[in-house]
Amino acid sequence: MVAWTLQRVTGLLLLFYLFLHIHTISKLSQGPAAFNEAMATFHSPLFKLLEIALLGTVVLHALNGIRITLVDLGVGVQKQRQLFWIVTVGVGVLVFLAGAIPMFIFAVLKV
Amino acid sequence: MMLRNAYEWYFQRITGGLLLVLLAMHFWVEHFMTAPVRRGDLTFQVIAARISNPLWQAIDIGFLLVALFHGLNGLRNIILDYGRLGKRGAGVLNIALILIGAVWAWWGITAFSRL
Repeated sequence: MVAWTLQRVTGLLLLFYLFLHIHTISKLSQGPAAFNEAMATFHSPLFKLLEIALLGTVVLHALNGIRITLVDLGVGVQKQRQLFWIVTVGVGVLVFLAGAIPMFIFAVLKV
Repeated sequence: MMLRNAYEWYFQRITGGLLLVLLAMHFWVEHFMTAPVRRGDLTFQVIAARISNPLWQAIDIGFLLVALFHGLNGLRNIILDYGRLGKRGAGVLNIALILIGAVWAWWGITAFSRL
């Protein structure tokens, strides 16, 4: 139930993000000034942290999706609870940190 | 069960797998590949330099189409899972989601029209 809810909530969030993303990207057709102005909002540290949160949302959805596919294919049906903790949460934390730490260092701290 | 038929199950998994690859690539390109993107300075100039290559345009447009299918099909699964829609309601939902997807795709593709 936790994983099921998680997959739906993260899926809806990502679809909503795709809407915002295309809304911003569509400004490319209005020329450099309009696009750079639209992007200026996203250069603040707050938005960099939200980008890192977006990475977390993607990683959860992707790894839980892999787990669901494995279980559907009959892999680890008996151990699907452990699969949730190992694949979705365990591997998810590692993948998230692998992306989030450099993002934080380069884009937030600007080292 | 959220799955209505085998094709839908199959395409949701296939597009999910494709997104895994495409999104990992997108993440690398937009956040790590060059010094400006590492600092998070995504400007028109930085994007135009990449997107002026037709191959990148094709990859990004393909990426958008795969993401839209996966996202809107997922939304469809959630709505149908409530079981409130009859056969006619489901038909209306399908048409509505196809139209939304078409407009959304057009919105994204035309972003490249002046690059």
